[in-house]
Amino acid sequence: MIKGVVAILWKDLRVEWRSRERLGPMVVFVFLIILVFNFSFELGGSALHEIGPGVLWSAFVFAGLFGLNHTFATELDNNCLDALMLAPVSHSSLYLAKMLGNLLFLLVVELLSLPFFCLFFNLSPGLYLVPLVAVLTLGASCLASVGTLFAAMSSNSRLREFLLPLLVLPMIYPALIWAVKATAIVFEHSRPSTTGAFWPGSLTEPVSFLLVYSIVFTTLALMLFDQVLED
Amino acid sequence: MTTGAVRLEQVTKRYGALAAVNSVDLEIEAGALLLMAGANGAGKSTLLRILAGLIRPTQGRVLVNGQPPHSSLESRAEIGLLSHKNLLYDTLTARENLLFCGRLYGLEDRRETAEAALANVGMSARADTPVGTLSRGMKQRLALARATLHRPGLLLLDEPFEGLDRRASQALSQRLTDLRARRETTVVVVTHRVDEVVDLVDRVAVLERGRLCCDSAWRGGSLEELQALCDSHLQGV
Amino acid sequence: MSRLASTGLAFFVFSAMVAALYAVFLYAPTEGQMGLVQRIFYFHVSSAICSLVAFSLVFLASIQYLRRREERWDRLAVASAELGVIFALIVLITGPLWARPIWGVFWRWEPRLTFMLITFLMYVAYLMVRAYAAGSVEQTRRFAAVLGIVAFVNVPLVHFSVNLWSADQQLHPQKVELAPEMVVARYVSLVAVGSLFLFLLKRRMELELASQTLNRIRQELDGERGDDGP
Repeated sequence: MIKGVVAILWKDLRVEWRSRERLGPMVVFVFLIILVFNFSFELGGSALHEIGPGVLWSAFVFAGLFGLNHTFATELDNNCLDALMLAPVSHSSLYLAKMLGNLLFLLVVELLSLPFFCLFFNLSPGLYLVPLVAVLTLGASCLASVGTLFAAMSSNSRLREFLLPLLVLPMIYPALIWAVKATAIVFEHSRPSTTGAFWPGSLTEPVSFLLVYSIVFTTLALMLFDQVLED
Repeated sequence: MTTGAVRLEQVTKRYGALAAVNSVDLEIEAGALLLMAGANGAGKSTLLRILAGLIRPTQGRVLVNGQPPHSSLESRAEIGLLSHKNLLYDTLTARENLLFCGRLYGLEDRRETAEAALANVGMSARADTPVGTLSRGMKQRLALARATLHRPGLLLLDEPFEGLDRRASQALSQRLTDLRARRETTVVVVTHRVDEVVDLVDRVAVLERGRLCCDSAWRGGSLEELQALCDSHLQGV
Repeated sequence: MSRLASTGLAFFVFSAMVAALYAVFLYAPTEGQMGLVQRIFYFHVSSAICSLVAFSLVFLASIQYLRRREERWDRLAVASAELGVIFALIVLITGPLWARPIWGVFWRWEPRLTFMLITFLMYVAYLMVRAYAAGSVEQTRRFAAVLGIVAFVNVPLVHFSVNLWSADQQLHPQKVELAPEMVVARYVSLVAVGSLFLFLLKRRMELELASQTLNRIRQELDGERGDDGP
């Protein structure tokens, strides 16, 4: 099981390294969306701290959808999906590999764009870098768990890329609510005036919700992925 | 032990009301080479994909080495498929494609195996070229190397001569001859290039509208006779 | 038989509707604070219950379809999903109509409204998957069933998170004290809307069966016309 996951994940990373079809566009996309928000709301000033986390997550979700749409693109080119289905590797391994790949891409995009985001919006995660990374990871894994399952479905639809947001967005709202809330808490506690513990206590609730969400849907997707792939 | 024995029991695959494959019973002994013939749309490719475990039959059972390929990983490890598409990643090099395949099949000595497979199809010189930039014939050769990398007990070939030039076709025929001589691999081949396989065929199965309408042993004979056998059931359609 | 049952059920729905209209508009007293507009409550709540029942049916039918691969479960799933979406839409329309005079605005990001809206959108996506599928019919049904399960699992999560997200916006009464006549009107309208739901469900499943049969006949005709040979 693990061998198969690693093999497929490694292959996807190598393909990405060669083609750079996902990461580059995703990072640029995140910047562009942040600027869209900037101009739409004439940011700057006191409203920043209020809506900063929301802007950040909106950008991540849209860039994430962009990347998720590519999950099975390389597999469809030369029917490579057949090769994966032929191999003595379980379908759950395929889901896990693709899900971890998406998670990894999302994380890289988040970590690359975070410094610039903080710079533009005069935010500083300061002491709370660790909780912030935890929140980003969990939020990304929520998106990846649901997104990978639906990407397999939308790649087989007449709407193609367009169907995925329609499926993912309403599903992801609960996680989005908590991811934004948690990120807001982190930034709240990072202001120079506040000092506190290494982990703000109020963060536990949203973080555990994100954890539950990603576990629930990863498990469910593992159980159902067979049904999506079967011909 | 020879592996790759195949057994189909009343296999049916329906798409809506249309039965692409209809109540097919077929038994192929290990090591045999079966030529599957039939008109376009007769269900050859569907049957091949059922054998590969890519399609789960609506009814009936498929057994490869006594186990259903779509649910048993062991039986899937015994199957190699060469299909219309080459199943290769365009952005990866020829060698990387084979190494990835080796990893999927959990081969112990995958580096040596991959090199040997590249040499076998005469692709060693182009091992580091991305597959997307190779010519069609080269891709087809590499696809064959991919399909046979894990030494499958059951090799399924869907129009394997497509896109190959004269020399490559002969090389493929030669490979098939070697395989058959060793009697270690069961081969099911769908091809309209009957001339390339006329000396290798052990059995001929003809499909007509999803039904198996002829399944007979072939004890050698001329190309014309084989062609006639393949076409015999196409009359009156 | 089925025709007779349909007619009987239709007659029952009609009588129940008449009874509900009487109970809601004539029998039940006008609510003291909210006035006339409160009477929308009877249909609002009944529709909300029906839509949630419908989504539960989608969930159960989806599980059964994946286990048994029988078309009738898929028919139940598609019929329930469509009706669930329609009844959710009724909730989303009657809610703001009621809210405008009471809360002063049509829409508030209030937990139950938000919950209904998100749930509604998930099942709109479900219908989209069915409408725009590219693969075989069987594949579409499997995809839909997977979504029917995943979406329903999400329903309690949505409920839980929007409740905490906007708890301060909570405007729906958590517990309602109703006059005895109102209670009667409430149950009569629930029976009326519920039987309407069942009637539509039955008809929609029959329609699906008819369209499946038609497709089958078409395919058989195509098959006979001969699609083989170059």
